[in-house]
Amino acid sequence: MMKHKKFWALLLALAMVLSLAACGGKDADSDKSGDSGTPAAAPEDQKTGDAESGQADADSDLAYVQGKGTLVVGMTDFAPMDYRDADGSWIGFDADMASAFAESLGVTVEFQEITWDYKVMELDAKSIDCVWNGMTLNDEVKAAMDTGNAYCLNAQVLVVPADRAADFENLTSLEGLNVAVESGSAGEDAAEALGASTTAVAKQADALMEVSAGTADAAVIDLLMAGAMIGEGTNYANLTYTVNLNTAQGLESEEYGVGFRKGSDLVAAWNEFWAAAIADGSVLETGTTYGVQESLILE
Amino acid sequence: MFSFFASTEFQTVLSALNTGFVKTLQLFFVTLVGAVPLGLVISFGSMSRIPPLRWLTKTVVWMVRGTPLVLQIIALYYVPGLKGFHIWSGGESGRFTAVAVAFVINYACYFSEIYRGGIQGVPVGQQEAGLVLGMTKRQIFFKITLLQMIKRIVPPMSNEIITLVKDTSLARVVALQEVIWMGESFMKGNQGYAGLVWPLFFTAVYYLAFSGIATILLGKLEKKLEYFH
Repeated sequence: MMKHKKFWALLLALAMVLSLAACGGKDADSDKSGDSGTPAAAPEDQKTGDAESGQADADSDLAYVQGKGTLVVGMTDFAPMDYRDADGSWIGFDADMASAFAESLGVTVEFQEITWDYKVMELDAKSIDCVWNGMTLNDEVKAAMDTGNAYCLNAQVLVVPADRAADFENLTSLEGLNVAVESGSAGEDAAEALGASTTAVAKQADALMEVSAGTADAAVIDLLMAGAMIGEGTNYANLTYTVNLNTAQGLESEEYGVGFRKGSDLVAAWNEFWAAAIADGSVLETGTTYGVQESLILE
Repeated sequence: MFSFFASTEFQTVLSALNTGFVKTLQLFFVTLVGAVPLGLVISFGSMSRIPPLRWLTKTVVWMVRGTPLVLQIIALYYVPGLKGFHIWSGGESGRFTAVAVAFVINYACYFSEIYRGGIQGVPVGQQEAGLVLGMTKRQIFFKITLLQMIKRIVPPMSNEIITLVKDTSLARVVALQEVIWMGESFMKGNQGYAGLVWPLFFTAVYYLAFSGIATILLGKLEKKLEYFH
């Protein structure tokens, strides 16, 4: 009997150790900050951690990507920048250019759909190598990533039911309106700045559904997306867009950029690639294919 | 109405939802296969005669049951990578593994408490009877307690199993493309269709069908075990 008791105790101890190891994210965390002696400065700590592992692999992010042979592009389904064709493969202005960029690096491109709110974590955890998905260069993005030169212009527009469009013309304030916005998007900032009470939803498409279902008075989404998704011939034929919120706020248009990890030398590689692609006309050509040529920045 | 079910829109959406539901089912079965035995090990830990082991187990169970599963998924997937340990391989398979580990640990903790209730619900007199007959502890557990415990835990386990089918939808927080993710994808645009709302709500058909089958099977199991009293 004693023997069995010992056997069970050992088995249990082993199981507990294993299960603790499996959920030991927090432990590893505290150990590490303990080592570096700066437990309070978590972001600092992380940076040194990255640099160390970067040096272990190779000297640069570019070498890291070329070493594993794939460029993992973090994106969401966002026509006309990234979306699936009828065969299920990724196309769109951003998707096509990302493939060309990967080719120029001599690696294969891999598209990974991500949850947009977690793009910085995805990048820092190296589960993706860049964020390339019609990303507005706002303060949050600039603080957390290194970005390539802006390549496209965009604005936030107010989407309303077509039959009520006249009520919204030349509005300079959204006070008293209930506006659906994508959580964490540039549209959310714009709507709040103009005094709307906002309902944050997970995706821009959800915001359109809110307006369509009448649960919100209006939605704020990207001009590029509004052009592709609403109006005649789409599934949101009853919606239209009116106010340009950037003009209403007296702001410049927004710019789209590609995000890389902080300190990554892929930024320089990207800028070089993009300048060459503008020069040989492939940017304009691809942009024309997807109807975004008006918004491109061709220096 | 009939022509809609024959339309390419319906066929395209259906095949995407099927792909997603296969992911849902994989996660469901992997979780069950992992959590059912791990739960038993944890329940032994929380009933152990060794106090430190008992406290440790109970603390782990408290932490896992006391925090949202969605938070555990996010932490398990991102924190190792953020700290420089790239333990999850890239792409879909890494995401699936991370999510499966989170689900197994989470559900094992819930199962362990159900098992504990089942084991401790067997009258002590029966164990004493076993001892009088000269049976070892091990024999008592496997020959007397275990089967009676199984009978007692079927109804609460059925509850957890049906909850598990629906909880798999939390996996989309780290972009695991299960059936709800697929349903939502047609709102934004997928394979040439954008602004479709019905695929999201249509996923309910899958969950209802699956939990219907699960309910029938678990009901049969319960009937089969009815000869115990």
